[in-house]
Parts: sequence; C-alpha cells; structure tokens
Amino acid sequence: MPALPQLYPYKAGAIEPVVLPGETVGVWVNKWFTFYEVVYIEGVPRSDPLEFDFGAIAAGGVTAVTPLLLTEMPDNEFAQLRAAVIDDFTVILYQGRADQRHKLRNRVATYTPFTALFDPDGHTGEFYVFEEQHAFGQATNQTAYAMTTARMVFWGFRYVLEQLKQYTWPNKVPATWTRIPATAHL
Amino acid sequence: MAIAYLKPARGIRKVSPIVAAAAPATPELLYQRTAGGQNPRTVILRKVMIYNNTGANAVIQIGVGLAPLVPIIPNLYSINLFDNEWTEDDLPVDDVGVDADLTVQSSVAGIQVQVEIEEVGS
Repeated sequence: MPALPQLYPYKAGAIEPVVLPGETVGVWVNKWFTFYEVVYIEGVPRSDPLEFDFGAIAAGGVTAVTPLLLTEMPDNEFAQLRAAVIDDFTVILYQGRADQRHKLRNRVATYTPFTALFDPDGHTGEFYVFEEQHAFGQATNQTAYAMTTARMVFWGFRYVLEQLKQYTWPNKVPATWTRIPATAHL
Repeated sequence: MAIAYLKPARGIRKVSPIVAAAAPATPELLYQRTAGGQNPRTVILRKVMIYNNTGANAVIQIGVGLAPLVPIIPNLYSINLFDNEWTEDDLPVDDVGVDADLTVQSSVAGIQVQVEIEEVGS
C-alpha cells in the first residue's frame, strides 16, 4: 500500500506542494485562520517573469520597503513561494508592509547570496501569499561599490481554494487541516 | 589548456578591478572586501592574473595594508611579455584568507594585476 506523502510547510529539500487537492487548509491572515478546501494546484517555476529587480543601489545603500507586486495572487488563491537573491545584496521580507518575516527577538534574517550555499532548496525562506496580500522587500547593498541591478527570483506553487464556511476559527475547526502561515505571527 | 580544479564553494566568487601599478614598490588597493550588514566577510585569494608589457621582469607582492604592504603569499615573479596567471591550483599557498582589503605592489610600474577571490560570510 503506498504511503501518503509527508507534506508540510518549510519542508526541507526541493519544493513540494504543501497539501494535495481535496485537502483542507487554514490560511493565517490578520491573526485569524480561515478554512478552505484546495481544489487545484499548479507549479510556478523559477523564471524570468518571477524575477524582481530592486534596481540600482548605492554602495552600502538601503532601499525603501518595496512592494513585491509580482507575488500577488487572484481571489481565492494562495501561493507557496521560495526565493533567492541573484546579485550580491540582501533582502528583508515583509508581509504586510510593517511586518518582517524570518525574525528572532532582536534580529531579522535576510535572503543573501550565501543562503543558497547552505540551503540550496531555499526551504528556510519559504513563505505564503494569500490573495492580494503580496509581500514587500527591503534590499541592502553590503558591498563597497554601487550596484546597477539587484535581482530576486521566486518559485513555488499556486493553490486554488474554495471556502469552507461551516468552519470558523478558533471554536469550530476541521478534524484535519494544514496551517498556511500567509502572514507573520506577531 | 590546464584543467582547473575548483575547490568546494565556501562563499561567493568575485573579481577585483584591474589595478595598474602607478609607481614601483608602492602598495595600492587591489580588492576592497565587503563590509556586510553585521559582520565583514573574509577574502580568500583564488586566482591571480598579471599582464606585464613593461619591458622588464617584475616581482609582485599581494598582501594587506598600504603602509607597509604585508604579503599574504610569497612573491610572484612576472616575466615580461609572458602570460602570468596563477589559478587556485597554482598559487603557492592554499586557502589564504584575510579579514582585510587586499593590496598589491610591483617592483616595476605599469604592471596590471587582477585577482579572483572567494568571499566567505553570511
């Protein structure tokens, strides 16, 4: 008998879907889980249209917190994304504009060109975007020279959803469901 | 053509500008290491390329510091009009890493030097 796949967020290794069609997810947005059935999944390969260029950054310069509009999803969809920086700069990821992701109490981790050396599949930088609540990024040029381009690229899966209105969090939840951390837990 | 054996990556590869020695025995900045956000990176010398069309053979020193330059590898002897290139297999000392900018000086003015380095950090 074939074993069921072990699927969960931030899974190490090459990216896999986090659930299968027909399964139930709870999407965490605005400090609240909303429940959906996944009706369709599609891969989103790493490619030029999913590349974002923060543009020129002066030596040691820091950009504004910049909307990453390309991560926006249609209604009733969420994306499971991983990311890598292509040039020699670092990025802090935000979901919403003031909420940093991948943080400890006193430090915020960044996407750097070194990340891929030790996490080649990018699972530690995985994040989720629900509908129009796209991510933001803030880039820093840590080098001693001006950069003319500062590129970041994304890949992952998109999930089409159908809301399960019979469930409400926290009092009436499905028996089995997968948590989708589509915003930071503040 | 020689086969180059690249060492396993510890960091990211970068190159210096081409630095032309303005005066003999005068140290010059060769590669400015990356400051980093929290911690500066370590610079490992991986490849040296020297162009010598000066009419004289020259001794090249690569090191740290400008006053004076402190060598981090033995002197390199650059023969006039020869292709002077040391890959990471050829360099006399392996995995030389420094936590400073790289500097260079030549016994003859006009020598052009460029290095490939690996920067280790996070």
